[in-house]
Amino acid sequence: MKIFQIALGILAAIGGFVDIGDLVFNVSAGATFGYQLLWVVVIGVIGIITYSEMCGRVAAISGKAVFDAVRERLGFKTGLMALIAAQVVNLMTLTAEIGGVAICLQLLSGLPYRWLILIAGAALAVVVWVTSFDWIERVFGYGGLCLLVFAVAAVKLHPVWGAVGHGFVPHVDTKSPLLYAYFAIGLLGAAMTPYEVYFYSSGGIEERWGPKDLGLNKANAMIGYGLGGFLSFALMIVGGSLFLDKGIEPEFLGSITIGAEVPLGQIGLLLALVGILFAVGGAAIDTLFSGAYALAQFLGWEWGRYRHPRGAPRFTVTWLVLLVIALGLVMTGVDPVQLTEYAVIFSAVALPLTYIPILLVANDRSYMREYTNGTLANVLGLIYLVVILVISLTAIPLMILTNVGQN
Amino acid sequence: MTDTVDIGLHVVDHQLLDSEGRRCGNVDDLALEGNPGESLEVVALLSGPGVWGQRAGLLGRIVGWLGGGGTVRVPWQEVEQIAAHVKLRKRAEELGLGRGDDRLRPLIDRIPGADR
Repeated sequence: MKIFQIALGILAAIGGFVDIGDLVFNVSAGATFGYQLLWVVVIGVIGIITYSEMCGRVAAISGKAVFDAVRERLGFKTGLMALIAAQVVNLMTLTAEIGGVAICLQLLSGLPYRWLILIAGAALAVVVWVTSFDWIERVFGYGGLCLLVFAVAAVKLHPVWGAVGHGFVPHVDTKSPLLYAYFAIGLLGAAMTPYEVYFYSSGGIEERWGPKDLGLNKANAMIGYGLGGFLSFALMIVGGSLFLDKGIEPEFLGSITIGAEVPLGQIGLLLALVGILFAVGGAAIDTLFSGAYALAQFLGWEWGRYRHPRGAPRFTVTWLVLLVIALGLVMTGVDPVQLTEYAVIFSAVALPLTYIPILLVANDRSYMREYTNGTLANVLGLIYLVVILVISLTAIPLMILTNVGQN
Repeated sequence: MTDTVDIGLHVVDHQLLDSEGRRCGNVDDLALEGNPGESLEVVALLSGPGVWGQRAGLLGRIVGWLGGGGTVRVPWQEVEQIAAHVKLRKRAEELGLGRGDDRLRPLIDRIPGADR
């Protein structure tokens, strides 16, 4: 049944919702504001579904991925700036994810962190080199679903369901509105982080989607990102139930796993660690490929895992080089969690440069033919364009005003 | 496609595909001919780092220099179809396109499993 081939959507969503930074950010949103920010995740989920469906459809009908659209609609100059911004943010995120994989391996094995960084980097290179795109998707997408253990943990922690329900209703009720806004912007920025759509649209082409796969595209976007959002809810509820009003600020990956260990014991801890390992490893592959996709598409090079390394040499060398640079950066001892927080905020600034071209191309009748945006996609697309503009204008001021969410 | 083509929107900055469907560069610029008062004619597509400076000023020149310079001129007669991509009549090697990939291929081939 082709309708169950939703690994691409899940893997793309994992990179946005439960990568190394988001795991901590979600739990820490719960620890700080309880269940009050759940509604923000809903808004983010609908936005990313809208735009992923759009760029998946563009990929299926025209064979264009997101950076093809960026280049053709923004032109060389503005497109080049979008490319540079995308590469910087991507590299920051990739660095953080490799660090995350190493932390995870350290929690599992107890070996020294720096050795595990090298092992993580080598393992990623080998996995990407020998594994087909389909299997990368399946292993990391479905493996990351071990994180559903946090949904069980959320239930077992017996939250006050009335309060959880209230969290889904948009409201602001806090003594620190700036910090609240910072968390809201961070959650929205993470939900709509651009590399999700770079990866998703290019993945559609890797899978050779055509007009017959538009249903598959919808299913991938809705179920994949829906699951990502669901995991985000679960983490926030765990954070709210376990840490709120206890003065505990979860800043480390280790403190997240406590969320599964307290209600579920050793098995919960193990599932959480395995889930995090696959999710963060998957996010590393998301960003590794996204960087190479973006560069190759912008310059018109041959690209894609489906072309095999010898069929796309410059693409292959690009991801190898990105991996080596990221390994070098993570060896400096930079804190992965902090790094992704900065990456989300910086990427928020460049959001319009990614999403405006998608909206324009999805409305181009000359090659989208009868598959251009319908009314719903355009109305939602325009509404979210406003949301994106607000995010991009407020992200950095809020980061400065709240001292990166510290007060 | 309609009968008229908007070359600004549907040719410039589009992907070039050779006769075998290989991605072999983007349309970075166009070469036009025609004296003042006469009609202008597109005579060639230009592709390669040598053109980037004209497209994006100093930043474009730096990136073009990093890309090794060089411009490939593809005569307009070699264009077979303009749809989502610009499709060419000949193979990339015959037109001098995609040489960066061809140059790197022997290096990649040395790593086991490069064809899988």
